[in-house]
Formats: sequence, C-alpha cells, structure tokens
Amino acid sequence: MDLATTLKISVAMPVIGSLLVPIAAKVSVKARNAYAVALGLLTFAATASLLPAMYTGFPAAYTMNFPLGFDLILSADLLSVFMAAVSSFVSSIILIYSLDYISHYENQTEYYAMVTLFLGAMMGLVFSANLLWMYVFWEITGFASWRLVGFFRSDRDVAKANKTILVTMFGALCMLIGFLMVYFEQGTMDMRLLRGESISTLAACLILVGILAKSATLPFSTWLPDAGVAPSTVTALLHAAVLVKIGVYAYARIFGATFAVSPEFSNGVLLLAGASALVSAGAALVDKDIKRIIAYSTVSQLAFIFLGLASGNRTAFAGAMLYILMHSIAKGGLFLCAGIIEQNTHNKDITKMGGLIKTMPVTAVSFALCSLSVMGIPPFGGFFSKFMVFQGAAQNGSLTVMLMFLAGAVMTLLYLTRLFYLVFLGEEKAENPKEGSALMVNGVLALALIGLVLGALVYYPASYVDMLTTQLGVNLE
Amino acid sequence: MTSSPGLLAYLLIPLFTAVAIPFAARFRTRMADVLANVTLLAGLLNLSLLLFDPANADSSFSAIPDDGFSLLMVFVIYLVGLCVTFFSTYFMEEGSGVARAPYFALIMTSVSAMCGIVTTGDFFTLYIFIEVLAVSSFALIASGERTGGLEGAIKYLLLTFPASLFILLGVAFLMLTAGTFSFEGVKTLVASGMPAGGTVFAVSLLLLGFLIKSGVVPFHAWTPDAYEGAYSPVSAFLAGIVTKIAGVYAVIKIAIILRLFDVKTCPAADILMFLGMLSIAVGAVAALRQNELKRMLAFSSISQVGYIVLAAGIGTPLAILGAIFHLVNHATFKTTLYLNSASLEKGAGTSDMTKLGGMEHSMPWTSWTSVVALMSTAGVPPLSGFWSKLLIIVALWDGGARIYAVLALLFSIVTLAYFMVMQRKVFFGKPTEASRAAREVRPAMLAPVVAMSVLIVALGVFFPYIYAYLVDTVAARIIL
Repeated sequence: MDLATTLKISVAMPVIGSLLVPIAAKVSVKARNAYAVALGLLTFAATASLLPAMYTGFPAAYTMNFPLGFDLILSADLLSVFMAAVSSFVSSIILIYSLDYISHYENQTEYYAMVTLFLGAMMGLVFSANLLWMYVFWEITGFASWRLVGFFRSDRDVAKANKTILVTMFGALCMLIGFLMVYFEQGTMDMRLLRGESISTLAACLILVGILAKSATLPFSTWLPDAGVAPSTVTALLHAAVLVKIGVYAYARIFGATFAVSPEFSNGVLLLAGASALVSAGAALVDKDIKRIIAYSTVSQLAFIFLGLASGNRTAFAGAMLYILMHSIAKGGLFLCAGIIEQNTHNKDITKMGGLIKTMPVTAVSFALCSLSVMGIPPFGGFFSKFMVFQGAAQNGSLTVMLMFLAGAVMTLLYLTRLFYLVFLGEEKAENPKEGSALMVNGVLALALIGLVLGALVYYPASYVDMLTTQLGVNLE
Repeated sequence: MTSSPGLLAYLLIPLFTAVAIPFAARFRTRMADVLANVTLLAGLLNLSLLLFDPANADSSFSAIPDDGFSLLMVFVIYLVGLCVTFFSTYFMEEGSGVARAPYFALIMTSVSAMCGIVTTGDFFTLYIFIEVLAVSSFALIASGERTGGLEGAIKYLLLTFPASLFILLGVAFLMLTAGTFSFEGVKTLVASGMPAGGTVFAVSLLLLGFLIKSGVVPFHAWTPDAYEGAYSPVSAFLAGIVTKIAGVYAVIKIAIILRLFDVKTCPAADILMFLGMLSIAVGAVAALRQNELKRMLAFSSISQVGYIVLAAGIGTPLAILGAIFHLVNHATFKTTLYLNSASLEKGAGTSDMTKLGGMEHSMPWTSWTSVVALMSTAGVPPLSGFWSKLLIIVALWDGGARIYAVLALLFSIVTLAYFMVMQRKVFFGKPTEASRAAREVRPAMLAPVVAMSVLIVALGVFFPYIYAYLVDTVAARIIL
C-alpha cells in the first residue's frame, strides 16, 4: 500500500466507520464493542505504519479538490504522524478500558460512535495541511465531545456539555476569522505554501484564542474541570490523550512549523502559559474532587508544553514534542485509575478516602508510577521531557517566566503527593472495595509501565523529535 | 411570459392536480393525498435526474436549461412540497377538523404559484403569482382546528397586505417611468447608468414590499405569530419555502438585476446589508428567550434570512451564490426542524419546551435528525450550512465589509447557543411526564426528515459539485 492510501484510510476509516457503529449495535452488543475497538486499533496500526517512511523523509500527501482554494489536503510529515500515532494509541487503550467501564450505563452505542468519530476527526485534524479543513475537523471534535460530556443526561451534565461546546466553538470561530485573514493576506490556506511566511499579529492573536479555548489554557480554562462530569474514560480521552492536545498540536503546527511570529507574540504566550500553570496548580492543591484535581493538573502541564513550543529554541521545541507523548500516556493512566477508584468507591471526594493501597494494590502502584512521570522524576519518561523543556527555555527565556514555571513544577510535586497520600495511604475511612476488573487494571498498568519503558528507551523518541524539530521548525535557534 | 419555457410544465401540472383533487376526492378522500404526492414525486424525480446527472460536471452543465437559478428553486419547491404533503398524509387524523381535499388542493396551488414566481421574467407576473401564493397560504394557515391558526392567518394577511400594495405600486411606477417591467429591461436600464428618479422610486417600493414579505427586521412582527399559529405541517411549508420564495427569492433577484456590486453608490446596498445584519442579531437574540419551540424556530428563521439578505446586499457574484446556496440549505434544515416540532406535538402532545425533556429515548429519530438540522443551521462543518455561510462570509470580507463578516461569523455562536438550549430542554435531559408517555411517530412520518437530513449531509460533502453548478449556471449565465 502506498503512503497516500494509508493516509486516506487512517482518516476515512474511523470517520465513516463511526457512522456504522449503530448498525453494528443492531447485530449484537459484542459485535458493536469489537467493531469499535477494531476501528481504534486499525487506526493506530495505519498511522504507526507511516512512521518508518517518515524517517526516510518523503512526506506523503493526498489532495481532494475543493473550489476557492478550500482543497482537502492530507499530508503526512514527522509532526503529524507523531501526533496521530500517539493519540490513536491512547484512544485505543481507552476504548478497550471502556468495554468494562461503561458496560452498565445507557447510551453506549452513542458513546462508541462518538469516541470513534472523535478519533477520526482527530486524525483528519492532525493530517490536514489546509487551515480550513483543520477548522472543519476541529469542529467535529467539538461536536463529539459535546455528546460525550453530556453522557449522563442530567440537567447539570447537559448544561456543562453546552458550556464546553460554546466555549470551544467561540474560540474556533475566532480562529476561523484568523484563518480567513491569512487567506486574504496570502491568497492560500495551504500550510505547505505558507511555510516561513510572516503573519499579522491580529490574525495570530485570533488563532491563539481558538487554540487556548481548545486546550483550556487561561483565560478559557473553566470548561475543562467542568467536563469532568462525563464518565472518566471520556474525560481521560478528552483531557489527556487528545482534545487538549489538539490545541497544542495546532500551536506547534501553525506557529512552530508554518508561520514566523514576532517575539512579542511568543512572550505574551509564555506569560499566559506561566499564569495558567500557576493558577491551575493552585486549584489542584485545594480541590477535593479527584477528577477535577487531575483535570487542573492537565491544564497546568499543558502550560509546560506551551513553554517549550513558544521559547523559540530547538531543544525546548523537541522537549515539548516529547512532553506531548509522555504526558498523554501518564495522564491517561491517572484518569483511568481515577475511573477505577470512582467506580468502585462510588465517591469522588478524596477527603473521604484513605488506605486504598491495601485493597487496590495494582491501581495504587500504577497511579504512583504515572504520578512520578508527570512530576518529572528520573528515570521516568516525564523527566526527560521536562528537563529538555527547561533546558531550552533557560537559554532564551526571561527570568520571570522561568520562576513561574519552576514554582509550577514544585506545585505539581505537591498536589500529586497530597492526592496519592489522601487516597491510597492514611487511615481507612470507609469500607474499601476490591480491585477493579482485570481488563481495566491491566489497562492502567500497561500505561504505567509504558511510561517507565519510554524513560529507559528515551533515545528513540528523542531522536525522532530531534529530527522533526530540525526538519520542520521555523525560526528556532 | 416566463423566461424559462422549459419549466412551464412544473407550474402547470400541479395546478392541474389542484383542480383534479376535489373531483377525485369525491369518490375516495384518500385520492387527494395520493394525487398530490404522486405529482410532486414525479416532478422531483425528473428534476433530480436533470440536476444530479454526474455527466453534468464534465460538460460544465450544458444540459441544464438556460436559467440554473430557477431550476434549482423549482427543485427546492418540489422537495419541500413533497416532504410536507407526505408528512401531512400521515399527520392528519381521520375525523379531525382538516378536510383533505381542500388542504392538498391548496398546497398544490401554492406549489404552482411558487414555480410561477421563480420562472417568471417580469415584475407584473411576479406580483400576480405572489398574490395567488398569499391567498392560498392564508387559507392554509387557517386550516387545523386551533383558533391560533385563524389569528395567525389574519395577522399574516393584514401585515403582508401593505407589502402587496407596495409591490403593485412599484410595478405601476416602473411601467410609467421606465416603460418596461421585464427583468431584462430593468437590468439593461441599470447597466446603462443611474436611472431616473422615478425608476429608482419604483424599484425601492418593490424592494420594500419584498423585504416585508421576507420578514426581515423591522418588518418581522408577523412571522412568529403566523408560524406558531399555523397548522403544524403548514408551518414547515411556510417557513421552509413559501415566505422564502415570496420574499427572499425576489430580494436576491432584485440584487442581481440592480447589480448592487457594480453600482456601489447605490444606498440600497448599504440598507440591505444593515437590515440583514440587524435581522441576524435580533432574530438570534430573540430566539434565545423563547419557550415555545415553533416560535423559537420562527425567530431562528428571521436570523437565517438575515444572512441571505446581508449577502444580497453586498451583491458580488460570490455573495449571490452564497445567498442562493443558503436559501436552499435553509429550506432543508428549517423544514426538518418544523416537521420535527410537528412530530413532537403528535408524539408527546406539546411543543412547549418547558414541558418536554429527555425525548431522545422515546423519539430517537426525531432527536437525531433535529441535531443534524440544527448543526447545519449553526454552521458546523462539514454540513451544508457551513459552506453557504462560509461563502457569504468570504464574499463579505472580499467585498470590503469586514465588520459585517466578523459579526455574521460570531453570531453563529448565538445560533448554536439557542439550539443548545432547545436541545437541552427537549431532547437531552431527564424525561418529564409528557415525554415518558411519548412514542416515536410512525416511520412514514420520519421518512421526510430522514431524507432531508441525508440531503443536508450530502450537500455538505458534495459541496464542490454544488459550487460548480452555481458557478457554471448562475454566475456565468445570469450574473455576469
């Protein structure tokens, strides 16, 4: 199979396949579940099979003509294949975990259809080399997350689902205005042609609004903790694996690999990200709801990725790429652990938990391993990425920004330790339940161990992101 | 008389059916709906074969008769007409206050009148058909047993009566000052320079009349009452196509004739754009505050008409294409939403949003087709509504009206917001008493909305084909 076909399949299969989930559900529940998981795994296989070709350096592209320069262009390069492989991998794990997790709720067919649609739209977004189509897929992910956040149909859930979609779509519309400004300034929306062009600050700011809204960075961060009302696999998918990474990816793609932006703009982004890191880490320190704490932690960690991307430094940029990988896996693991805990204790308040390590040892160990990776303790994968980001940023960042992020990193350490202590150690406060089902526990353990393995074998991903940065980075020192 | 003689059959056959229905219905009342459905289905199949022949794209649509705009409009009229008649066939209960024979005869008469409007080549014939349409839709609104129908019908008649007067006066003045009322004649007149004051006055009267008919703010007061009060399937017919053909179509036509784009000094362009933007804003904000589903949809309709008028105001070829495409899309999504509100009335006994909730379990098809339609209305890609809005916004930006472009784009979020509220109250959420007792309507009543939803997705996915059609037949033949 040539590259362009693989590329087409990896986008079309989940998008079109998701629409067929209700049909599979008519056959049997088993058939539907198997079909959804197969879609996830096949998508991962298709994107992963593109990886070797990227090393040899022949980017593939597929174009479908649309009038007025709105062509649908799918293009595979180092960055897009990397993102696609990471997010489809985590999505597949989540789909497998969901088999047990949501098996006793209503609306399961819709759940599987939306998760696979989400995955497909994510693939489309990542591979799209046309700004307009990036927006198109962007909105489809918004639609899927709207249905997913409103999974438990109470008024509160639905109100929060509406908040999520309204905030992200407002951002997306601002971004579309920015894209149209680019379109009228440069006459094209093909990012391959726009590479290295300069962009007006107004357009850049409008696009940034969309990115910040999607990645839940200040001042649009409020929807993300609210989205925690969804079943926790969904929040895991939304937060750790894909949704917020869309914003990060868009930043890397648009401002890292396409346009040359002014240093003032980058500085503004750095300050915003720093504030975001501090505020959300502070919120994570005081909150009592386990899923909200992890959600705030995501907001805080995303700021570190922005630090790497906006520093304008090669090491930092490569570190940010590595960070995306490490954080996806570790944070996915944390959310899935929280899901097991919540489901078995029927409780989200961490002050009412304690001593869970005795009855749920595997979950506790996985949780600890993932936390260590998020904190950035060697030899976990998270250490290398955080180190590279700091190393790079220190070379040309300002002192204020560095201090903000240092404080953020220390706070990460604090709130994760507090969380682990309150939940797993300490006194038993209630009758503690048994371990979760084998499928779910193995899923989280796998993620935790992958974090450790990535730390040991960090050479391979590091060399990949290094090559990526060298080939695609614009205006990096 | 008509500029497109090839389309005359589409006008005459429904008229003939309308005459035949009362006779046929004497023997068996069901003959009324059979005749209406068969006539419209035959016409629609014929039109679809002509429009969606894949060979068209290669031959740059040379097989399409001279005026692509009229053909497309006739297609939409038949499409909405068929959906409404098919839906009504099963919606009407035996022994209810609605008599089948006059109802279907009136629908066929209005289909015929609308075809007349879109195929005619002069303002006088246009006026006659608009009056025929007004009278038949007046009677249609009043059908159904509720008193609200009569109230709505009277409001519709009284409030659009001045519009007819303005149009008639405009036609008369046009004849006096310009000596012609054919579209071509006026177009030549405008192309040769700024016409005399009398002609400008005449055209202004015409435009004013059509703006009232389209329900653009500040002439929108009659629309919510008429749509809410009307017999439910009739609201779909009215909102989806009747008022669009009677008003909005003519506004686009005038925008083409006046060449608003070339004659930039003409203040008509500014006024149209301002009113369009005002409608978008007022309609969307008012829709946020409604509790009655049909009323909310009526305000949404005002807001969507605003986009079309805004595009007609800037008047560039691209904007006109966007306006036409949005008109088509509006017919698809608004018909779906109104028919679904009728299904809700049938299934749950009410369309009051405060009494509904959690309908997605009892009426899943109604729920999902509504989601598709509302997403298209809010301009969520890749559905058809996204592309038409995008065309309009690109055209606005290109034509220099950047503030309008940005505002029009940002008001999509308000559109989305009121639909989210609607979705939360009606389909999402916990079931209420009314909705627990509700049952999904029969498959035959779902067929029209499912077909429309498929069309909404298809028009979005096959956007390049639609765009090529519009460029090759509309832009190349009538605008330039």
